[in-house]
Amino acid sequence: MCATCGFPAAPGHWTEAGFGPSPHERVRARFRRMQVLQSILPAFGFSAHDSIQTPGIVLANLTGSQVIVADLAELWTAAERLGRQRIDPLDPRFIGAPAVDAA
Amino acid sequence: MPEPIEGRMKLTVLGGFLGSGKTTWLRHQLHHGMLKDAFVVVNEAADVPVDDLLLGKSTRLAVLAGGCACCEKIETLLHLLRVIADGRVGDDAPRPRLERIVLETSGLADPGRIVEAIRSDPVLVHHIVVSEIVVAVDAVHGLDQLRSEPLGRRQVEVADRLVVTKIDEAADAALGKLSATLRELNPGADISGAVRGSAQPLPDFAAATAEALPALGGLAAAGPRIFATKLIIDESVDWTAFSVWLSALLHARGDDVMRVKGVVRTPAGRLLLQSVRRIVPSPEILPESDDADGREDNAVVVIGRGYEAQDLSRSLRYFASGSPAP
Repeated sequence: MCATCGFPAAPGHWTEAGFGPSPHERVRARFRRMQVLQSILPAFGFSAHDSIQTPGIVLANLTGSQVIVADLAELWTAAERLGRQRIDPLDPRFIGAPAVDAA
Repeated sequence: MPEPIEGRMKLTVLGGFLGSGKTTWLRHQLHHGMLKDAFVVVNEAADVPVDDLLLGKSTRLAVLAGGCACCEKIETLLHLLRVIADGRVGDDAPRPRLERIVLETSGLADPGRIVEAIRSDPVLVHHIVVSEIVVAVDAVHGLDQLRSEPLGRRQVEVADRLVVTKIDEAADAALGKLSATLRELNPGADISGAVRGSAQPLPDFAAATAEALPALGGLAAAGPRIFATKLIIDESVDWTAFSVWLSALLHARGDDVMRVKGVVRTPAGRLLLQSVRRIVPSPEILPESDDADGREDNAVVVIGRGYEAQDLSRSLRYFASGSPAP
């Protein structure tokens, strides 16, 4: 790898390994990724944005703090830091169970 | 679309506690010519290497002595792997092309850390894909090590394949107890027996009871049971939703979700996906073959504790559809 320009880049985060090879498939996968994130993040006070032209995802919270993350692993880490709570997929709201405080 | 080709070398990490029979097992494989296309890397914590003498049969062998490859010698290991990868490019010598690397770790190594180091190296991810973690367990001393050594337990937890060695030296009852304990620590691993490196059947241990292991150095006692869940990824779940879900799950529950392994069909091909705790190595692209490799597509085994089996599929469905499962 060239130490100056970083090319060829590493194959990317494992979550991107299943994206199709053509550019338009990658764009579509990134839009789909935003769609999935937007169904999860607002409940925790976050929004996410992917401009497509530039790499990375912009994660923002309701008070306007923003952070650019390279991949999903960084996104969950940043969300935990900004929101001071962990986004747990096995949280009652995601498994259709009554929330603990409502029980 | 052309079929994706997986050109990377497969790395087998051979682990196991000190004296568990790693070298003997490896020597047997080499003696029977099973690793003709392999480069063997032996790591020894001691300064004076001995294992390489035992492995004289291998033509392509390198020794990394004087420290453990998962901690102070990790840079040396990465350098060595880069040299091997370099040498493979353009190698047209009349011998089998290098297709795999076998890394025999020192008895003090945590294979998980080596997998992580290779995954995060910008050069090596192009050349090496971690294909299997084999861990040797001593039939006589294994149970003692699991009781008292956190490292011994960690090695067992991350294995794909557990080889119980020296089974001719232990009684059937002791073997049964050890096998049942291994099964409980790592329900997803394939457990087999060996004597001096050659495969031997283990006695049936379905009825044996596992040892109740005490808490140890940050590792939980026989607390919540570790169990394996087979997660079917049907057509309503696409790769993108699945990867968002799994990355979040490993971030939030990485201490409890010890292992994820399976084949997922994606727009890029059939991906062999695996995780070791929070670490997910770059997935290997499998050929679009028939069922010759015996792996079921779109089924992922999740091994962990502290949740209900159905929570996983319900949560995944929420991520894929954006609303709770009915």
